[in-house]
Amino acid sequence: MRREDRIKARSEVIGRVFNQISAASEGGGAPISEVINETLYHERERLRQRPSYGDLEADGAFYGQISKALPKASETARQDLLRRLLTRYFDEIAGHFNPRIFKATTRAIPVALSGLLNGLSPKRLITRPGEIPRIDQQLQIEGDVGHIARLHARGVVVYAPTHSSNLDSIIMGYALHASGLPPVSYGAGLNLFSNPLMGFFMSHLGAYTVDRLKTAPLYKAVLKGYATISMELGYDNLFFPGGTRSRSGVVEGQLKRGLLGATLRAYHNQLKAGSARPQVYVVPCTLNYPLVLEAATLIDDHLRRAAKARYIIVDDEFSRLRRWWDFSKGLFELDQRIRVVFGAPLDVFGDPINADGEALDPRGRIIDPARYLYRDGALVEDPARDAEYTRVLGERILSAWQRDTVILANHVAAFALFERLRAMQPQKDLYRFLRELSPALSLPIQEVEVAIDGLVERLKGRDVRLEPIVASGDGAAILRAALASLSTYHTRAVIARRGVRLHVNDANLLFYYRNRLDRYGLSEPLVRGARR
Amino acid sequence: MKITVLGGGNWGTTVALSVARAGHPVTLWVRRADQRDEINQARTNQRYLPDITLPAGLTATDDLGGAVEGAGLILFIIPSKAFRRVAQALGAHLSPEQLIIHGTKGFEPVTHLRMSQILEEETCARQLGVLSGPNIAWEMASGLPAGATVASRFPEVIRRARAALEHDQLQIYGNRDVVGVELAGALKNVVAIAAGMAEAMAVGQNAKALLITRGMAEITRLGVALGAAPGTFTGVAGVGDLIVTCASSRSRNFRVGDGLAKGEGLDEITARLGQTAEGINTARVVAELLRERQIRAPLLRTIHQVIEGAFSPEEGLRYLMSLEGSEDVEFVGGDF
Repeated sequence: MRREDRIKARSEVIGRVFNQISAASEGGGAPISEVINETLYHERERLRQRPSYGDLEADGAFYGQISKALPKASETARQDLLRRLLTRYFDEIAGHFNPRIFKATTRAIPVALSGLLNGLSPKRLITRPGEIPRIDQQLQIEGDVGHIARLHARGVVVYAPTHSSNLDSIIMGYALHASGLPPVSYGAGLNLFSNPLMGFFMSHLGAYTVDRLKTAPLYKAVLKGYATISMELGYDNLFFPGGTRSRSGVVEGQLKRGLLGATLRAYHNQLKAGSARPQVYVVPCTLNYPLVLEAATLIDDHLRRAAKARYIIVDDEFSRLRRWWDFSKGLFELDQRIRVVFGAPLDVFGDPINADGEALDPRGRIIDPARYLYRDGALVEDPARDAEYTRVLGERILSAWQRDTVILANHVAAFALFERLRAMQPQKDLYRFLRELSPALSLPIQEVEVAIDGLVERLKGRDVRLEPIVASGDGAAILRAALASLSTYHTRAVIARRGVRLHVNDANLLFYYRNRLDRYGLSEPLVRGARR
Repeated sequence: MKITVLGGGNWGTTVALSVARAGHPVTLWVRRADQRDEINQARTNQRYLPDITLPAGLTATDDLGGAVEGAGLILFIIPSKAFRRVAQALGAHLSPEQLIIHGTKGFEPVTHLRMSQILEEETCARQLGVLSGPNIAWEMASGLPAGATVASRFPEVIRRARAALEHDQLQIYGNRDVVGVELAGALKNVVAIAAGMAEAMAVGQNAKALLITRGMAEITRLGVALGAAPGTFTGVAGVGDLIVTCASSRSRNFRVGDGLAKGEGLDEITARLGQTAEGINTARVVAELLRERQIRAPLLRTIHQVIEGAFSPEEGLRYLMSLEGSEDVEFVGGDF
């Protein structure tokens, strides 16, 4: 965010959240002192957990001061305390921004991102950029980029991608740059800044910080306010509506609607202000990795969560440079592509958008979406109505993700193999099945190839995107590609061929890659077929 | 607020009558010009609501665009067979701020879609609701007291429905469960056919009560599998509607059951009714849904088989009585 915009955003966000709380308090809602107390409670709880990042001492002192001042404070003094909390949150979220560094890093983007994927130091990136392999060859961009560029001229664009890896924001950043689209403002988890390379680039490339350990509603209100105002100020945004990375590997089937609702809020505010460019366009995107950098940690976390041991991952493959090296080597050596799909744009109500940026009804007739916010001829506030509109937008993003996810050889092979093996032991619960799935259990390769053929046949009848090798429908070729891919990068080859049989070395990872197809309703008949 | 009712059948006319009785002018869209003229000039709708005089505040039109232009509330009361066709035509005239409440208890044949899903597919309207409940049109039109449910995820839709329809003889209850209210209203018509058969076969009140309660258990099971909240089936649009449909010889679906038990064919019954009995189509859709979802519902399946002529009503009843008893109320649980 530019310096002058940041100043404007600061006073707007603090003012809006402050007014919202004051109005609620006057209308019989929680008084200001209660909001402050609640915030202090959440902060104390956070500090008690001793997070591994942030200046805990300064935080402790700050919240201690507020806590001490609150009991004796007059109403005016309480309002001041609330403003101090809001200001602190805003400054933490907005971070620091230096236009000079921004310009330099923007120029370095193409090689910088390649370098990041190769685990190189920023110094080498800047001094010897010519020696670094370009990421372009590994990245394939699909979708109507021209349409999005035209929409950018008419309003603000918000990208809503699937979320598998911490690499996602880097890949999206590069895909936008390579497509000639402007950079975006986006919220990056504070833990990402613990990686020195990432921290450097993120804090200078439009990222604002999101601290997932901060659970106070006041913090979330400021965060949402920041995203909203950035759209109103004309900044394109990147949201991950699924919230955190997909733990199980599945294409997300549920969204966190808080931030997504900011798109409608921004649109409403723009209409109210009589803006000439009030439109906010939402572009669902999918990011498709043949291999996922953090797959092992993510699936482990998913299985632990299922066993009720929830935790926030603070240290994974993402913070270990060696793993980056192995990961990118795997990609480069086998010429595996990361595919970024820009889906069809929607308005904030989930309506499709035509080439001229106009919203369409389900039968393709042009409509004026602003009218969704009108009642008896006037623009009206109705939070219950807006929440429902956002729910529908969320559903349409989910359908777009399902449709635009590129189904890769690894997913198909993992799915077919897993389902065959699972059908052999239906009596075991899933966790026991995974625990006991050892290399001793194997299947004839030919049987897996036939299962892949059947699976591809069924996928072809659907509105889905298939990687070319999958679309070819040649089970043997698909399995060969998956075997080669799944034996690079991960500590152990996920699956291995011994003679004419296929063995599973890492059941959890097989499950992880299999899960990409979990929501496509493919399981049951395969299992039934195997039982027959 | 301009209020428009689409559909000049007996239910559509009754809904328009309720709006007029609540003290609002109302526009009633009908398909045929002769029906329009009869309503506007003779103040009657003889074919669908014989002997009822329509008040001056109710104006009929056959111009769909003019009827919905500027309407703050559209009540869409069109039989399931014509529902999509009219929704398609309506879509061309609609603005996104307009609210629609439909009052049709059925499924679309082939697609198995609920009526609100058709409106979503054909129009830009988002603020949708459904009107349902124990509402025999003739009773309401005659001025007898009644209550109905309006379900919508949008509180404004329920507020407007109350403002438009409530008067001293009609209460409106709100519900958020659109899926549940639509399914309860549609599915109960199949049970009503069973009740009509039982009545005509003189099997006694015990057997009739058994058929109705087992029918309720089965429609709740299917409804929940299709996304309804189980509690909705205990409400005005659930049990309320089931009681009236299964007890009243005026209910069209009840009369279908009655006709079948007396050995009449479906064509003959439909011709005699002169109006759509949604339960016949719904029974077919239900049979397919039960098959797709592998749900056990012997009563609903048997009614379908009787409608299709695979069983006589006596054979159907004998078959049902031959089944082993199972769990009474499955949400209570237990191993029986």
